[in-house]
Amino acid sequence: MIKKMELRHPLWVRLLHWSNMISITMLCLTGFYIHAPLSFRLFENMDNARTAHFAFAMVLFVGVVLRIYLAIAEKDWPNILYHPIEDTKKLPSMIKYYLFLAKDHPYYGKYNPGQKGMYTGVFVLALFQVLTGFILYKPEFFTSWAYFFGGYLVVRILHYIVTWIFVLMVLVHVYLDVAEGIPVLKSIFTGKIPADFHHGYHVDEQGRKIEPERGVSA
Amino acid sequence: MATKLSRRDFMRAAAGSAAAVSLAGFLSPYIAEAAEAGELPPVIWLAGGACTGCAVSLLNCQDPDIQDVLLKVISLRFQENVMAAQGEQAINAIYDVVAKYPGQYVLAVEGSVQIKENGKWCVIGEREGHEVTMLQAVKDVGSQAAAIINIGTCSCFGGLPSADPNPSESRSVADIVKGKPIINVAGCPPHPDWIVGTIAHYLLFKDVPELDSAGRPKMFYGRIIHDNCQRRQYFDNGIFAKNFGEMGCMLELGCKGPIAHCDSTTRLWNGGVNWCVQCGGVCLACTEPQFPNWPIYERMAEMPIGPATTATVDQIGFVLGGAAVLGIGGHLAGNIATGRIGSKKDHDKEEGDN
Ligand code: HEM
Ligand code: SF4
Ligand code: SF4
Repeated sequence: MIKKMELRHPLWVRLLHWSNMISITMLCLTGFYIHAPLSFRLFENMDNARTAHFAFAMVLFVGVVLRIYLAIAEKDWPNILYHPIEDTKKLPSMIKYYLFLAKDHPYYGKYNPGQKGMYTGVFVLALFQVLTGFILYKPEFFTSWAYFFGGYLVVRILHYIVTWIFVLMVLVHVYLDVAEGIPVLKSIFTGKIPADFHHGYHVDEQGRKIEPERGVSA
Repeated sequence: MATKLSRRDFMRAAAGSAAAVSLAGFLSPYIAEAAEAGELPPVIWLAGGACTGCAVSLLNCQDPDIQDVLLKVISLRFQENVMAAQGEQAINAIYDVVAKYPGQYVLAVEGSVQIKENGKWCVIGEREGHEVTMLQAVKDVGSQAAAIINIGTCSCFGGLPSADPNPSESRSVADIVKGKPIINVAGCPPHPDWIVGTIAHYLLFKDVPELDSAGRPKMFYGRIIHDNCQRRQYFDNGIFAKNFGEMGCMLELGCKGPIAHCDSTTRLWNGGVNWCVQCGGVCLACTEPQFPNWPIYERMAEMPIGPATTATVDQIGFVLGGAAVLGIGGHLAGNIATGRIGSKKDHDKEEGDN
């Protein structure tokens, strides 16, 4: 019995997902050490932590730029870019589903509006970290940029707050994707998902729910 | 015939590499010659909302004699702390210079400008039976000056008097006088070399030295303290002082060296004796436009989360993290109870097998 699978994530999506995940994780860990070297004793010294922070900063920078380029070139952006009107319209049904007020949810496309919002947010925040990071990295060069934000201390605080937002987002992100079903979790490793995986019900032109043909083999 | 000092030599002297004598000592013969040739513009020094610390820092300038520095090197015509004239006579001395040398003299300002109640919060003297406010004086004298040199962070950016909640409505000079070249000799107080060097540069070359984006001369403020600190090795090796007097980098005690622009690390204070961090203190980043709007002995300011309530970013993060974990736990329980996770999906999957 071979399960019929379909491609959910092309290879480049998976590669960039994992490279970005590793660099963000390392940036958070080294960042927490740089912030509180006396209490967050994960690294031996500042030299190691900062070298790693700047190295992964470059990896993240390249990763984010590549991801944005490919999102445009491969026309992947409608999947992940939150549409302020279309996606907001879909929000209520999703919230109802998550609050157990509805048994099922309509088909949203590759990702539901909550996920899209989160992915769009991750891009904005990653770019923001890159920007504030480089300002902190070369303070004698980016002086006027820092003053635009209200000074270096403000930049530092923003860089640190966004670090926490990343940590919180990862928690929610991992949970929600697991909650979608184990096959979804597997797909970011293998790229594939069972062809009959239930992604929500479809509606016809009149907006009526089309009963899913569950369990019917193709 | 005056021996001309080249800009190049000036810059080398300013960087501290040209001579063993102090910057003022090095500059004094050149300026004296320029003065004899009648080429020196007069300098008026106004002090407003200030603690006089900048003037005291200047008076601390050693070698040559401070009298020489004031009269010869920076040719002061009005400086209330050291001048003999008093009362209306002194104020008139200012307006005499304005009348005699319009567009030629240099205005040095120490301290911020109070604008509350039309400047009544800072009266610096009387003239013809009326009080002269700092606000009025800065407007009158600044509008006719060739250039304005702000001495100290107060006149440059507002400084201490304009820190929250700023009851006197203190402002920087740039907020009051527009359209004049302004040079910011920041610092709380600035090093005497920065004051003397900047004024002398203007007097000798009649132009503004190269400035950074905060209007500070690059020759003194071009470098970051943290990158030149003698305690930097401790930072790199992760050795941090937990109390004052301990060996180690002062970061955890609130050192703002990573954000501060100045050259104290090599110039040294009090005639080359020591500087802020080397002597066991923390750098306050006193040359920065946002000084002193941060906690001096803490690494990072707390966030306002309500009226008169603050929390650290970590506290907020842990609370939100806890809330997220609780939410996830509750949702997971719901998911299992409704069969969304586990049996149902797996059941579907089995059915869906080919
Ligand atoms: C997801 C991305 C990132 C995270 C989570 C992150 C996290 C952090 C944290 C927590 C700190 C300590 C802040 C403090 O307490 O002062 C920090 C510092 C810093 N980060 Fe990042 N960062 C990220 C990306 C970047 C990037 C792209 C750069 C670019 C070069 C960068 C450069 C810096 C610099 C220069 C510092 C200051 C280090 C020091 O002065 O010792 N960061 N980062
Ligand atoms: S003491 Fe201050 S300036 Fe010196 S290395 Fe430590 S943080 Fe940097
Ligand atoms: S080292 Fe720091 S505190 Fe000292 S003068 Fe420079 S900026 Fe100010």
